[in-house]
Amino acid sequence: MEPHNEKYKKVLNLLRNSKPVLDSTEDIEIEVIKRIKENDRPGFNLLNAIDFLFGWVYIGWVRRTLITASIALVLVFVFQQGVILKRIEILSKQTIVPVMENVTTPTAEIEKLLVTYKNSGRRFPSKTITISEREMKELLESVKELQLKYKDLEDIIEGDPDIKRLIEKKLNENNHAKINL
Amino acid sequence: MIDIRLIEECRSGNFNNFRRLVELTSPFAYSVAFRMLGDEDQAKDIVQETMVTIWQKLKKIKTAEVYKTWIYRIVVNKCYDEMRKKKRNPEFVTDDHSWELISNKISEGPSATLENTETSKIIRILTEKLSTKQKAVFVLSDLEGMSNDEVSEITGISKSAVKANLYHARKSISEKVEKYL
Repeated sequence: MEPHNEKYKKVLNLLRNSKPVLDSTEDIEIEVIKRIKENDRPGFNLLNAIDFLFGWVYIGWVRRTLITASIALVLVFVFQQGVILKRIEILSKQTIVPVMENVTTPTAEIEKLLVTYKNSGRRFPSKTITISEREMKELLESVKELQLKYKDLEDIIEGDPDIKRLIEKKLNENNHAKINL
Repeated sequence: MIDIRLIEECRSGNFNNFRRLVELTSPFAYSVAFRMLGDEDQAKDIVQETMVTIWQKLKKIKTAEVYKTWIYRIVVNKCYDEMRKKKRNPEFVTDDHSWELISNKISEGPSATLENTETSKIIRILTEKLSTKQKAVFVLSDLEGMSNDEVSEITGISKSAVKANLYHARKSISEKVEKYL
């Protein structure tokens, strides 16, 4: 596009006419020769070494790639931290219930209660003994078991009149003894 | 035009011939550097660095025509580096006086010229918004009078990109001139 701006053309013409003037090339010549001689001098040049090692960072596409990679790494790091924090939060919300092994033996407990009840001379009011539902079930089961075992014994006693008579006699003696006491 | 024999003699390490080469090369290298950077001291530094690079890599040159393009390419690349540094530390550009100066010079007629310091100020205010590529294409094409092919070869960008960059550079400068003059 050729701009049809008259002022632009005038400014351009002014700049074209004003060719930059180099005062003297002599200073440049001297400085250039000096620098060339310095560069030709053998020896370790730290600046050149640094430039050789790290000069590649000034390459545009390398710089852009490094920036992109570093941003990606930061994003991944932030994302991972977020995930970890979220998991910690979930875990902290969960209640931990320590499961204790019930070491009490119900039968022994019941026996103990019964012995206490017996030894107390049945003087404890019924309200003072508290038995849980589970213990009550166990008690009923043991009673059932006892009834089954003694049913066989009753059958044997009923089947034999001599044994029956003997047992009745012994029971009567026992009852007498208790009354005497 | 630089003689190929002079270049060949410089290859043999003759400093006197190299002085002559610096004398012949410096003005046009300085012109491009100055117009791209808008700073005399920086332009001189660029010329010095360019001449040192030429001394180091002179053996690669085969023809005088290639030599000139090669020099321009070195200068433009060094200016790119300098402009990138400047981009990180942008300078404040005062433009009130500069626009007044342009206006006065234009009114003097088509033969008016500027001094280096004046040219420096004007180039700065005109090209401050341009990208490095746009600036290079504008200087080489509109101020140094090179063809698109030459600009493409020196800057290393395609011909269509040269045209596009030149279009945007002209448009930007033209708008500025229209606005302030």
